[in-house]
Amino acid sequence: MATRADAGARLLRLLAVLTWLARQGRAPVSELSERFGLEPDELIADLELAACCGLPPYSPDQLMEIIVDDQEVIADLGTELGRSRRLTAAEGFALAASARAILAVPGADPEGALGRALAKLEAVLGGRGMLRVDLREPAHLAVVREATESGRQLELHYYSASSDRESTRIIDPVSVRLIEGHWYLDGYCHNAQGMRRFRVDRVSTARLTGAPADAEGLDGDAGAPGSEAFVPGPEATVAHLAVDESAAWITEALVNSSSEPLPDGRTGVTLAVASTVWFGRLLLRLGPHAEVLDPPELADVGRNAARQLLARYGAGPSS
Amino acid sequence: MVDRLERLTDLVLVLLRDQRPKSLREIASEVPGYPAQEGEARRQAFERDKRTLRDGGIEVTATAIDGPEQVGYVIRPEDYYLPDLDLAPEEQAALNLAVAGVHLGDPSGRDALWRLGLPASAGARPVAELPALPALPVLHGALRARATVRFDYRGERRRVDPALLRFHGGWWYLVGYDLDRAAPRTFRVDRMEGDVSALDPSSAALPDGFDPDAALPDVPWRIGEGAPVTVVIRVDATLAGPVLDEVGEGALAGRDDDGSVTVHLEVTNTAALRSWLFELGEHAEVVGPEEVRAGVVAWLEAMAGTTTVPEAR
Repeated sequence: MATRADAGARLLRLLAVLTWLARQGRAPVSELSERFGLEPDELIADLELAACCGLPPYSPDQLMEIIVDDQEVIADLGTELGRSRRLTAAEGFALAASARAILAVPGADPEGALGRALAKLEAVLGGRGMLRVDLREPAHLAVVREATESGRQLELHYYSASSDRESTRIIDPVSVRLIEGHWYLDGYCHNAQGMRRFRVDRVSTARLTGAPADAEGLDGDAGAPGSEAFVPGPEATVAHLAVDESAAWITEALVNSSSEPLPDGRTGVTLAVASTVWFGRLLLRLGPHAEVLDPPELADVGRNAARQLLARYGAGPSS
Repeated sequence: MVDRLERLTDLVLVLLRDQRPKSLREIASEVPGYPAQEGEARRQAFERDKRTLRDGGIEVTATAIDGPEQVGYVIRPEDYYLPDLDLAPEEQAALNLAVAGVHLGDPSGRDALWRLGLPASAGARPVAELPALPALPVLHGALRARATVRFDYRGERRRVDPALLRFHGGWWYLVGYDLDRAAPRTFRVDRMEGDVSALDPSSAALPDGFDPDAALPDVPWRIGEGAPVTVVIRVDATLAGPVLDEVGEGALAGRDDDGSVTVHLEVTNTAALRSWLFELGEHAEVVGPEEVRAGVVAWLEAMAGTTTVPEAR
């Protein structure tokens, strides 16, 4: 017997299939299966069940008219079942936020099809103009996007926060996307001979080399699963910190970290450290309100970073 | 035994069929699958179905009716159907692409398309990922309904008439009018503590001429309630370009031959400034005013183990 959540999820999916079928009249099983992310046999089972549903007395003329075979579904469901249904708060938000985000992508046309669709949606849902997505546009985003979309090779002058070095790199771009407020380029780096991820706002110059990109067969995730902006390599070390409540807002913002309360009231933060330069700067931001619990070889990174920076202020210890 | 999915589907069709509320006895006689005996088991099965429908966004309304059972149930069409959006085919396709292109951490966008009868075809590559927070739909719903919201923030209870929900610089912000402080305020949504609740629709009334854009600064060091201070920062050539790109050319106060730049920043939140500054490592330095520079040095000295601990904020 299905659990409550299962039955509820199946019901919503079935109603969605019925809405679509009510409008289309007929559809291949393969298409329905793809659009609704369902195995064909699951889809057929649910539709065969739906064909037994309807209104009392459940005589044939009161049942939903759905004919299912291996290849195709034919339905005559009337106009009511084909109507759009009310959205939950989460769905209304997700739809409006997605449309707003895409309209904020540089180059989007606010008067285009998506802008018109959103206007119609907001006219019905309310809240017009009350949701805004700002996607900051780094100086070199346009050329990076152009190279990615037209499959051309890029030469970047790039500052890497993890190595604290500037370098010039030849990249075959694969994808450009916004993750947690920053634009990233994923591409094959000829210098590193592998997939790498670059923060576009750390690019100081970008130009097309004139050569086509050879990114065929590469996928855009910088060789990493999921969506993490910071991709720990095999050389990354797992570190544990204890952070005071007053500084927790900094670690909350870290991608690729997890946290849990500690018995002493502080927050325990687990994160992957691929670069001591990066880690040192994080510890500077946390200041005296964080303590490295583990591993011991990272215990002095914060103190060393502070001493180095003090030297710039002419206030470093003489040692 | 009747599959629960079949019972739920019939229940929706029966409760939607006409506007007449039906008693549980009528429902059990019309919808196959409920216990034949009147009593607690039937009541529980029906309550469970009602919860499942509500969790799925389908509201069953209970109203008083004549007869021994006194309560009748109905799904009101205005609670179930959306007015026709009248979307042209290219507008439907654009909404589909937008949902495929934005990752919000849960399938709500897909579910929305399902309810609108616009199931997506798979395969679009995401172009943006926005953090998903449980408070966001509540706040968005409150904005749509013009309802006052209540939440805890920095350990204090807040009552806010919401004006704008804005994603900016990687964070979601609520901009609104703080009723207890009688002033515009900006709140980071991820830092709201506990549940956010919305009061009745139309309970919010923003002051005339309220400008949400003026209430939310573009840079983190302006999001704070302190008195503004002009901080002078020098950035070396390595990061001069990206920093100018971020703070704007308007902040530029000077350029040196070695490629370094001096910028003037209006700061109301020194903790946020410090956090931003330290991300730049040795490539940036506070030049003045002296008390801000001294604060940075004291912070670093505490870390370097040469003095005592300064306050975090």
